[in-house]
Amino acid sequence: MSGLNGIFGIGSNALAAYQRALAVTGQNIANVNTPGYSRQEIILNEALPENGRPGQIGTGVEASEIRRSVDTFVEQQLLSSNERLGQFGAAQKSLSKIQLLFNDSNDQGIAAGLNEFFKAWQDVATNPADLTARTVLLSKADGVTTLLNQGASQLSTQRISLDGQVQNGINDVNALASKIADLNSQIKLIEVSGQQANDLRDQRGRFLNDLAGLVDISSIEDATGQVTVFVGIGQLLVTEQKAYELTGVANVANNGLLDVRYDGGTGPNTDITSVIGSGRLKGLIDARDTTAVGLQTSLNTLTSELVSQVNAQHRLGYGLDGSTTQDFFEATGTTASTISLALSDRQKIAASSTAAGVPGNNVNALALSSLQTASVAGLGNTTFQGYYSAMAGSFGATIQGVTRDLQGQEILHDQLLAHRAEVAGVSMDEELINLLKYQRAFEAASKLITTSDEMLQTILTLKR
Amino acid sequence: MRVADQQMYGTLLGNLQRSRLQMLTSQEQISSQKRVTNPSDDPSAFGQIVLDKSALSQTTQWIRSINFGTARVDAADHALGQVQNLITRVRELTVQASSDTTSAEGRQSIAKEVRQLQRQLVQLGNTEVAGQAIFGGTKTDVNPYTITAGDTVAYQGNSETQSIAVGENQTVQILVPGSSIFTGSTTNLFDSLRDLLTALEGNNRSGIQAELGNLDLATAQISDAQGTIGALANRLQVTHDALDTATLTITKSISDNQDADLATAITQLRLQEVAVQAASQTFTKIFDTSLINYLR
Repeated sequence: MSGLNGIFGIGSNALAAYQRALAVTGQNIANVNTPGYSRQEIILNEALPENGRPGQIGTGVEASEIRRSVDTFVEQQLLSSNERLGQFGAAQKSLSKIQLLFNDSNDQGIAAGLNEFFKAWQDVATNPADLTARTVLLSKADGVTTLLNQGASQLSTQRISLDGQVQNGINDVNALASKIADLNSQIKLIEVSGQQANDLRDQRGRFLNDLAGLVDISSIEDATGQVTVFVGIGQLLVTEQKAYELTGVANVANNGLLDVRYDGGTGPNTDITSVIGSGRLKGLIDARDTTAVGLQTSLNTLTSELVSQVNAQHRLGYGLDGSTTQDFFEATGTTASTISLALSDRQKIAASSTAAGVPGNNVNALALSSLQTASVAGLGNTTFQGYYSAMAGSFGATIQGVTRDLQGQEILHDQLLAHRAEVAGVSMDEELINLLKYQRAFEAASKLITTSDEMLQTILTLKR
Repeated sequence: MRVADQQMYGTLLGNLQRSRLQMLTSQEQISSQKRVTNPSDDPSAFGQIVLDKSALSQTTQWIRSINFGTARVDAADHALGQVQNLITRVRELTVQASSDTTSAEGRQSIAKEVRQLQRQLVQLGNTEVAGQAIFGGTKTDVNPYTITAGDTVAYQGNSETQSIAVGENQTVQILVPGSSIFTGSTTNLFDSLRDLLTALEGNNRSGIQAELGNLDLATAQISDAQGTIGALANRLQVTHDALDTATLTITKSISDNQDADLATAITQLRLQEVAVQAASQTFTKIFDTSLINYLR
């Protein structure tokens, strides 16, 4: 193939190679803003030379490979960063909503309700014969029960809404797992023929990152280019082209809220709720089953002590009508959601410590109003307000901690993305230089072809 | 090291967003004038605010109770002052009646005036504030003193007292029952008056003289009660003043924990504005230096 034809060959090889190179550059420029895109690079090689005299003669250039620039270590770090980002993000959002429970800054909260309640008791103590003070007390008592009822219902509404998000998370996990399984089979099909499935790999990488944002996973790539994804404690989520599913199963012991279960296709489902270590699902489940439940428990303890302390004292006193051993709150309603008033008749408010002392005796009302500052054993020897304050403070610290974690993780994530970009990101300057470089080379190769054509013309005219 | 476009834009965008978020926080603080509205803003400050607000609610309530108690105590003090004036007049009349120059008719007419004074004293013993008797012990819903047969006056109240809360585990008595003022352990004013009337109308000079001593005892007994009530009024006033000071201290503590320090918040906002401006300018500068501007 030496001679003029050889020169033609070199020229046309070069044209083809640089066209490919320009196409790769174009692809890079076009995807400069595509998230998860990995920069592609054309690898140019000398074509195999031919034997001849005085020695081997080159046959030009060939594009041997279109390589994807990727740093697998950074990719792994990004996966785990996404897991934490998903967890902290979900936790921060859910807790911010739960935080609305504590609207004490505008004096609308439970703390203010308790203050009003005890103030009303003191008004009755100050003026036990006054019916207005007694009416006010009943309405303030009703106010505090309403606030506690609302708090309880707010918390359970939040838990139900979080549960809906858990179900959505499970659906998303399943959708992503099946997409990854699909891509596995496509990538295998392409790469078995020696091609590189660069763009499909980028897509699968994006899905893996999305999946990691939902639930903590571990993944490993096999020799055929397919990834195996594990979830929970080593449960297979994706293997080759097969995806398994997570399901949400109502747990009766947890108010019918969903457990996350792994469906391995055979045998019973495995409960993996407690082994999910990070990702959005973890953030949601923690907010639903730890933080919200903790607040519920605290509110219930507060309520139960309020009911029992107030009732115990109230039963000792005498109402204006001589009634005694009356409960103030319903004795059965000892949770925040069930607390209610037992008393509806203001005459029965037991301000007096003796039957003979009515209407002016206020000893029992004084004892009741002093409950505001009493240390209650069932609340860890603090006052009602002290207990509530500690509850709000510790919740605040939780949400503050999560917010800090989230901000820290966002910065770390930005840095990881920068690291990724350093290897896999597109640099416009670089691509523009390549564009010029390949364009010039393409022009020169065309020149080679026209030159050899002219030479051929010259030879053809010799014959005439 | 390669520098990809995503690195430049991504880092800048992250910084810009964080600065904007801080700006938003500062702006919220400035507009609401509050630094702490949610537990997460400052958990320990939030807890302290809850406790302080509870303390504030208590002190305002104690002040409210003290104002109520002061009204009762002042009314009692005022009534007893009048009682003393009336007793002084009764004593003058008794002295006049006990003179041997006073005739039986004179004693009769003195008896008429004394009976009027006795009725007034009974009325004072039934003094009410807002419809509640203040000398009947805790039996506030009946007249403590009623005239039964003849000039006999019976006490309908009880000997209980009422105290109000004026501080943590602190109470002040706001009620002194009539049974320790008019009809106390030393003497019974109304019995003396009844006996005096009998002596006057019976023209019994020695009987009249005997009641002089009893009237002095009654004056002393009521003075005692006045002293007690004065001391109570004084305690209420002193506690009121202390609570006023406490209210100021607690209000300041709440403000310190809750309110935004405007100077700091505005300075912060300015700093963040500078940061946002710098980041925005960097954006345009990066674009200026891009190779694409030089390839024409």
